Amino acid sequence: MKSVQFSVASRREGDAAIIYPKGYLNNLSGENLVIECGIYIGKGITKIVVNFSETDLINSIGISMLLQIIEDLKNIKGTICCTNMSKLLRDTFEMLGLMQHMLVFPVESDALTYLKTGKL
Amino acid sequence: MSTELKKALYNISALADLGQAITSENDFHEKIQSVLYVITGTFLANKGALLFYDKPTKKLNTLTQKGFAPDDLNRLNPEELMSLGRNEPYLIGGDPVLAVAGAEILTPLWVRDEFIGALLLSGKLTVGPYTLEDLELLNVIANQIAIALNNHSLFMDLSDKLEENRRLYEEMRHIYHGTLQAFAAAIDAKDAYTKNHSHRVAKYSAAIARELGWDEHEIEGMYVAGYLHDVGKLAISNTLLNKVTPFTPEEREEIRKHSTLSHSITAKIKFPWKNVEDMVWHHHERLDGRGYPEALAQESLSDGVRILSLADSFDAMTSQRPYRKKMDVQSAIAELRKNLESQFDHKVMLVFCKVLDKEIKGELPEPDILPHLDRDSDLSVISALLEGIIVELSRP
Ligand SMILES: [Fe+2]
Ligand SMILES: [Fe+2]
Repeated sequence: MKSVQFSVASRREGDAAIIYPKGYLNNLSGENLVIECGIYIGKGITKIVVNFSETDLINSIGISMLLQIIEDLKNIKGTICCTNMSKLLRDTFEMLGLMQHMLVFPVESDALTYLKTGKL
Repeated sequence: MSTELKKALYNISALADLGQAITSENDFHEKIQSVLYVITGTFLANKGALLFYDKPTKKLNTLTQKGFAPDDLNRLNPEELMSLGRNEPYLIGGDPVLAVAGAEILTPLWVRDEFIGALLLSGKLTVGPYTLEDLELLNVIANQIAIALNNHSLFMDLSDKLEENRRLYEEMRHIYHGTLQAFAAAIDAKDAYTKNHSHRVAKYSAAIARELGWDEHEIEGMYVAGYLHDVGKLAISNTLLNKVTPFTPEEREEIRKHSTLSHSITAKIKFPWKNVEDMVWHHHERLDGRGYPEALAQESLSDGVRILSLADSFDAMTSQRPYRKKMDVQSAIAELRKNLESQFDHKVMLVFCKVLDKEIKGELPEPDILPHLDRDSDLSVISALLEGIIVELSRP
């Protein structure tokens, strides 16, 4: 199985940060995802949207990264929203019981609307 | 797929992740870092630490950790950890001495009689305690890590223990196989009539691959594919699998989905062997293109697929199924022979006959096929039949 080089992009919208992981979340390069979120948290951002449209594979290492972000946001009473997840990703998160620790939206704009207005 | 099954698959892929992390080209520190991530990700723990026991100073050194306070880890007394058992996860609960570090589960790492260090976990994110399966998995992981750490320290000593290193590596692979076996047992247990089918198909396929001159790594991949070829059956209903009356066309369609399911399951696992997912996917294809699921033919079928297909069919024929009696060994071999070129590969059949004949003649120290065949078989008759086929198939 080929592994796709993992990279992270991000942008800010209002008081939220949107993170775009790209590639397989299955090795140490996934740390960049934690670092990227950490940078925004350091700047006082408490709302983070992770758009998974370009990541459809995650393994235990990737899950560990995600746990870290969930924990970091919990510590500052922040919110993590996950969007554009493939079925495989959703199933994995569900099976591991991660869904209770995040808000899940079909697409990024839904998450942003929710974060702005507090409703769907 | 049930949640339990999904969890089991997640766990088995975690083992593959672990193997990948340990055997990667990364430097030691990166390896250890990946190993810790695999473990915390698998057990959904927010805190994790890997400690290494330094014999000369009798101290535990932290190799890597996340979430713990460094001072707390320093307060652990190695002597106390040693008494807890070997590679067995220990639930700390209220234990006053061990609770110092704030860990919930502590696994002392051992290789044979040597204490190597400890693995600590804490802060499980999701509700519910760790299950028995979790603890079993942790035990397997602890064994692997202990060996990897020991290998590393042996290497650092620049010792002349290369031979021991090699043996320990063998042990590690053994453990990996142990887990695959447990998984195969789960497949076979679903269907009373296919008891040990996966195990036998793995053995037969590996024996053929060996006789074909494949290298050890490739043979191992063949073996794993044999074990997992029917893993997709886990997702098919028991009632259907154990049905006594003939299948309706719809039911046959349903059963046939298993090889595609086997493929999608194994494709998610990052195996250190090539083509496992291709082999399981196409084990019901035929050379004439009348197989399933993709109706591939001839060159599209790899040697691995051809081996697996023959080994699977041979075992299916020689085992009892709910809807028919088992065939005797001679008839099964004759049946394979009859379907050469249309279904089975000439070269693979020749090699299969050669191995079995060698096994019957006692020429192979560890026979893989013979021990599983019907005890009432007349070996001299089988051997004569095999010899005939070998002569015939060896003709240019
Ligand atoms: Fe099958
Ligand atoms: Fe089979």
